[in-house]
Amino acid sequence: MSSFGMLLRNENMKIYRRPRTWAMVGILILALMLLAGLMKWDESSSQDSAANWKQNLMQDNEHMQQSLKEQAADSSPEMKQMMEERILLNEYAIEHDINPNENSLWSIVNASSMLIVLVTLLTVVIAADMVAAEFSWGTIKLLLVGPASRSKVLLSKYAASLLFALFLLVVNFAVSFALGAGLEGMDGLSQPLLTVGADGAVHEGSMLLDSLQRYGFSIVQLIMYVTMAFMISASFRSSSMAIAFSLLFILAGNTLVNILARYEWVKYLMFANVDLSQYVSGTPIRPEMTLTFSIGILVAYYALFHFITWIMFTKRDVAG
Amino acid sequence: MNEEAVLQLRNVTKKIGRRTIVDNLTLDVQRGEVFGFLGPNGAGKTTTIRMIVGLISMTKGEALIKGVSVRKHFELAMTHVGAIVENPEMYKFLTGYQNLVLCARRHAGVTKERIKEVVKLVGLENRINDKVKRYSLGMRQRLGVAQALLHKPSVLIFDEPTNGLDPAGIRELRDYMRNVAQQEGIGVIVSSHLLSEMELMCDRVAIIQAGKLIDVRTMSELKNAVGHQQIIVEVENPVHTMEYLSTALPGLAISLQDGKLEIMAGRERIPELNRTLVYADIDVYSIRMANLSLEDQFLELTRGEQIV
Repeated sequence: MSSFGMLLRNENMKIYRRPRTWAMVGILILALMLLAGLMKWDESSSQDSAANWKQNLMQDNEHMQQSLKEQAADSSPEMKQMMEERILLNEYAIEHDINPNENSLWSIVNASSMLIVLVTLLTVVIAADMVAAEFSWGTIKLLLVGPASRSKVLLSKYAASLLFALFLLVVNFAVSFALGAGLEGMDGLSQPLLTVGADGAVHEGSMLLDSLQRYGFSIVQLIMYVTMAFMISASFRSSSMAIAFSLLFILAGNTLVNILARYEWVKYLMFANVDLSQYVSGTPIRPEMTLTFSIGILVAYYALFHFITWIMFTKRDVAG
Repeated sequence: MNEEAVLQLRNVTKKIGRRTIVDNLTLDVQRGEVFGFLGPNGAGKTTTIRMIVGLISMTKGEALIKGVSVRKHFELAMTHVGAIVENPEMYKFLTGYQNLVLCARRHAGVTKERIKEVVKLVGLENRINDKVKRYSLGMRQRLGVAQALLHKPSVLIFDEPTNGLDPAGIRELRDYMRNVAQQEGIGVIVSSHLLSEMELMCDRVAIIQAGKLIDVRTMSELKNAVGHQQIIVEVENPVHTMEYLSTALPGLAISLQDGKLEIMAGRERIPELNRTLVYADIDVYSIRMANLSLEDQFLELTRGEQIV
């Protein structure tokens, strides 16, 4: 009987021995380099203003204080609070000699979290191909006529997809860290994250934790989409169909939710709940939605996806 | 239960909707024999084989491999099975060796030495580190045999193994089958719609028609079956001659086909027949032997049946 570990090794071998996989890693690294390069170029083109940044910040503060006084009546309380926090942060930065607009290693690492969208798309392609490709190649017979139950085979494939996602995330983080260190130097490593706490005072936090939080929210999204792609893969049995439908659903799903946001039932769609960062920074798609509600919906969808995948893979005959 | 039976099918049935694809198939395959599933296209051979290896679920019945139920203990039963279902599809972006490594990992206890041994057995030593996409169909077939033999199975299953192979490849595969069956005591199961092929490689065949088992015969039985040979006689007046012969030589099966007489009998009856015709003053144009091929017998057995 096959051990799960060996099946997983087989699936990994099938992923990493394909040139396509390394082309994907190459695309990701290229995108990161482009991003870091653009940030560096943008920084150096505004070099003049960078030299006297303290003056600039002071000017900004004056502007904001003025507009706070003048438009106190018609600006919303959120707007007001945001400006007040901004002023506090700027004052703290001037006092402690921390240039907030200067690019550091962490600004590149933080910006790299935007590329998790790319990581998601690449992993979705791999996951959508995971089961369907075996049918396209005809190797499914080879795979299933062996001393491993179909459930075990399926689980090893899912695990390999998630491991690939993890691998890309590590690449994303490590490459952006290296690019940051290379372009901006290691001095930014200990740069603190400035936030205004509930007590109205400025706190210094860890940039690393902040980056990891950004990554964390994106990983939830990543896992949901990959699981959905995996389900589509097991259902369609054709690589190109599975990849096309997975990407279509992801791209169309988010647009659709934004268009239909005025209907109440939209909150039951996975796409409305998949971005949990809407509760931390930003506003939820429907005002009545809460973090607990979204987590509940996501867990339900996750279980449903796995159930359909399992039925589709283990209960159907393999003919033709 | 027969100790020597490596595969037992008991009332194996497959229904899709109202159609019965395979109907109550019951048979045993012994160790050391090459057993053929013979039948026209659509008779249910491939469906039966796919049920044995678990690719298709059974509606009813049971398949036992070395006494282990495929339905209840799939993983354990499959440790005894090596198979090529239709064309041997491999991962084309991997080398032959890497493909074998994939298979080896799925089975417990397949060593590197065993992989080398099998590669040598199928004669792929020189090309085993090439990517499979550069293999010819014959080489892929060999690699397929290698992966099927890797874990020393007790039952080896080939579904239409010679599809797309050239005569040399077919012959090679046939020799492998005979060798592994005899030397390693493996029960080999082959399906084909080509009788001439079966004739050369099988010890016994099951004739399947419209999902039903019509007969299981040993190859020698099939070859020596009564009515294996016939005498064809061309005469001036066949209808009259047929009447005359049925009284003069009672017990001979005579039929009229295209104005010729077909007599089911061996060569040894020709002199007697000739004498009778001459004495009766019947004008004879020719008397010759015709060998009823296995193919004709097969058609005889399955004649008139419709494909389900």
